[in-house]
Amino acid sequence: MDIRLNQLTMQFEEMTAVDRMTTTINNGELVSLLGPSGCGKSTTLMLLSGLYKPTSGEIFFGDKNVTRLDAEKRKIGMVFQNYALYPHLSVLKNIMFPLRMQKVPKKEARERAIEMAALVRIDHLLKRKPAQLSGGQQQRVAIARALVKKPKLLLLDEPLSNLDARLRLEMREEIRRIQQEVGITAVFVTHDQEEALSISDRVMLMNAGSIQQDSTPQQMYKKPVNEFVASFLGNPPINLMTVERMEARQYKLENSAQMVLLPERLNHERVRVGVRPEDLYLTDKDSGLLSGKVLHIETIGRDTMIRLKIGNTSVRALVDPKHQLQTGDICTLGADRDNIHYFDCDTGERVNVEKEAQGDADTADVEEYA
Amino acid sequence: MPTQPTWKNTLKACLYLLPALVILITFNLYPIMKSFFISLYTDYDFFNDVVYEYGFGNFAKLFQDPNFSKAMLNTIIFVIGVVPSSIVLSLAIALLLNTKIKMMGFFRTIYFLPFVTSVVAVAIVWGWIFHSDYGLINYFLSWFGIDPVKWITDPVFAMPALIILSIWKGLGFNIIIFLAGLQNIDKQYYLAAKVDGASAWNRFKSVTLPLLSPTMFFISIISIINGFKVFDEIFALFNGRPGPANSTLTVVYYVYQKFYEEWQFGLASAAAFVLFLVVFLFTVVQLIIGKRFVHYH
Amino acid sequence: MAKEALSKGTIYLLLTLGAVFMVLPFLWMISSSLKSPNEVMAMPPVWIPSQLNWDNYSEALRIAPFDKYFINSVIVTVLSTIGELLTTILAAYAFARIYFYGREIVFAVLLGTMMVPSEVLLIPNFVTLSNLGWIDSYKALIIPWTASVFAIFLLRQFFFGVPKELSYAAKVDGCSEFRFLWYVMVPLAKPALITIALLKVINSWNAFLWPLIVTNSQEMRTLPVGLSAFTTEAGIKYELLMAASSMVVLPMLILFFIMQKYIVAGVARTGLKG
Repeated sequence: MDIRLNQLTMQFEEMTAVDRMTTTINNGELVSLLGPSGCGKSTTLMLLSGLYKPTSGEIFFGDKNVTRLDAEKRKIGMVFQNYALYPHLSVLKNIMFPLRMQKVPKKEARERAIEMAALVRIDHLLKRKPAQLSGGQQQRVAIARALVKKPKLLLLDEPLSNLDARLRLEMREEIRRIQQEVGITAVFVTHDQEEALSISDRVMLMNAGSIQQDSTPQQMYKKPVNEFVASFLGNPPINLMTVERMEARQYKLENSAQMVLLPERLNHERVRVGVRPEDLYLTDKDSGLLSGKVLHIETIGRDTMIRLKIGNTSVRALVDPKHQLQTGDICTLGADRDNIHYFDCDTGERVNVEKEAQGDADTADVEEYA
Repeated sequence: MPTQPTWKNTLKACLYLLPALVILITFNLYPIMKSFFISLYTDYDFFNDVVYEYGFGNFAKLFQDPNFSKAMLNTIIFVIGVVPSSIVLSLAIALLLNTKIKMMGFFRTIYFLPFVTSVVAVAIVWGWIFHSDYGLINYFLSWFGIDPVKWITDPVFAMPALIILSIWKGLGFNIIIFLAGLQNIDKQYYLAAKVDGASAWNRFKSVTLPLLSPTMFFISIISIINGFKVFDEIFALFNGRPGPANSTLTVVYYVYQKFYEEWQFGLASAAAFVLFLVVFLFTVVQLIIGKRFVHYH
Repeated sequence: MAKEALSKGTIYLLLTLGAVFMVLPFLWMISSSLKSPNEVMAMPPVWIPSQLNWDNYSEALRIAPFDKYFINSVIVTVLSTIGELLTTILAAYAFARIYFYGREIVFAVLLGTMMVPSEVLLIPNFVTLSNLGWIDSYKALIIPWTASVFAIFLLRQFFFGVPKELSYAAKVDGCSEFRFLWYVMVPLAKPALITIALLKVINSWNAFLWPLIVTNSQEMRTLPVGLSAFTTEAGIKYELLMAASSMVVLPMLILFFIMQKYIVAGVARTGLKG
């Protein structure tokens, strides 16, 4: 069952939480709604569930218009951040609850609940009360309860944010496994980019009520469509600099004397340049993009992060730890041309400099930019 | 389930509220207004529910009635007799109980016992304890060579007897609330004060008392309000009379007399209205001053 | 703190003295209720009766129908408690979870009525009940007391603490709102409901002025009213008076010993809002 949103809008008093959102979620996909808090991702989920009714626009489940349909009639399952388990009911009773509400005979409900508990691997905890379970176990119960009535759509609202780092990783994989095993369409709300990028088939990055980019995780990371997407994704965050054209391909970095050579196709007087720290590498002076003084060195696990000062701007780069750098050294950083992003100074939109054929990484040209 | 009111929700809410509202409107809200109107009935036939005349005559009559002034005065004496000593005693006991001694639960239970028991029953028991010839109190006093006191029948001692009973009855409630207040004080304040070298008395003065002031204030107001409403104790202790020579005639007792014994509904309502004003005044004081001058943490 | 200022022994001594002052009336009541007429009036007092005169209780029962009073008190207490719980659950849910027009105003007006002493309502309510022809009936003793603003306030606070997601989850699961209230909210609110019920039971059992006024006949009297009337009926027979008082006091003492935790918690909570 495909899910289609058409011009979906939700207005709360003065604020527009979701603004003319149009998209399609394909059958069997796991889609993440990603974005900073207040971007409208949770509201979108509430609209999908039917707990909120939109101000305007439509929602289709397959061919059926469900815009005005109440939550209980939409055949959805929902998992909440705080799990929302019924504290006074045992694990088994919690999982049986939706079936009992549908008047499924007790025996059948019990069997189906046990089956579902086995799928989420909590069948040894059936008699416990929610308070006697760990966070991860509670979340498994919540997933079982959401899936037991065989919904057509599974909605997950920040399901991992109440878990500690290690469990989060485990549960993330579990959600993916269960989703694929059941083959259910799922929408996953999160503010954590790593979570979204790692488990979803598709990510919708939202800001201020509208979708900024809707693509596969790889695409979103490699080809951000605007400056917001570029800066939201990635940790440490992308380096963004403003450059001004001096002549032809010569651009000057704002607030510094540094000159950079940018591609011919870039026909802008001023432009924002973005390079991810991990896409920068140490190189010799002639083939580099930028050079500056090392301000700070930090070793994080397997990487070394350096901060360069170039004029008034500082640039972060993750470099190979085998380089023996010291603060105060002058060094030069280079980047592959595919990994340099350009954004319009006014609109923030991506400026494409590639040739018409998409994605042909022409590494032979690198020297050209040096 | 959005958070904005809708007419559909309003209709639904009406159904949920209906049972409670029917009762509360009939027996709480309507009578408040009705009570004021009855106080204006200067000529009323209860049996036929006919009012012949309205006016403020009841209030004029009330303030000329020496019994009402006496009732007011007695009530104030009662409040002054009960409230401060009850607060000091219950605070002291709460502080003692708050020392993490082993039998804390047991003592708390004991002190709380009178709260759950019928005022009438315990007043009758205290009436027996106050008995001038065979009462326990006079027996204990005899150990110190004090002659038997006619607690119940002597107008001088009736009020003290009532005050002792009331303190005893109300102590447990105050202790529980003080204990809750004490346990609400963050232990770190004490540690900080201790590090600063404050003595036990200084810590009580500069940490406990200020931080306990909301609780103290709450208890004072509640005690004053309850003091103004005293009735059951008097009725039971003095066997259906307001003490010898009206020595424990209080405002509520006055209302009861005028209403139920003399059937002067207008006058009784006027007196009840004065009681309402007094209680209202203290409640407002609590709301205003409570927010401004009391330390909240 | 007091622990540093005073020795442990002093603390125990003070607390014990206070405790004796608190329990002595109860012990004296029970002791006197089991004495013979001679022992009651003995001076110096006899602390423990030489033999237990249980006859005092049957004698008290013979003079006044305490069994009937007891049944009346039970009926009034049980029904008004059940009534209050029902109206409270419904109203508290509406105030906590349903967004309706005028919600804040209606609630504020109700809270405002808490300032009005019940003594003020006595006369108009008496007039209302006599117009309804309810005087001297169970209806008069029970119905005006089947709703309480304070209880609604307490339960509403508790309901606020229940996460909203729980009702979302229930709605998605196909559970109607009314069913959610009874299947999920009410079981969750059990501690608050027990507290509300116990405070109600204590108040209802011990209520005096209202039942005194709305009952005329002996058959309708509740225990406190019956006991108060008994002081004239028994005359100066203190052993009978004490036996009767024990019958009124003991049920609540027993209830308190069993449910102490909830009662104390409920009282403590009334103070914390201050």
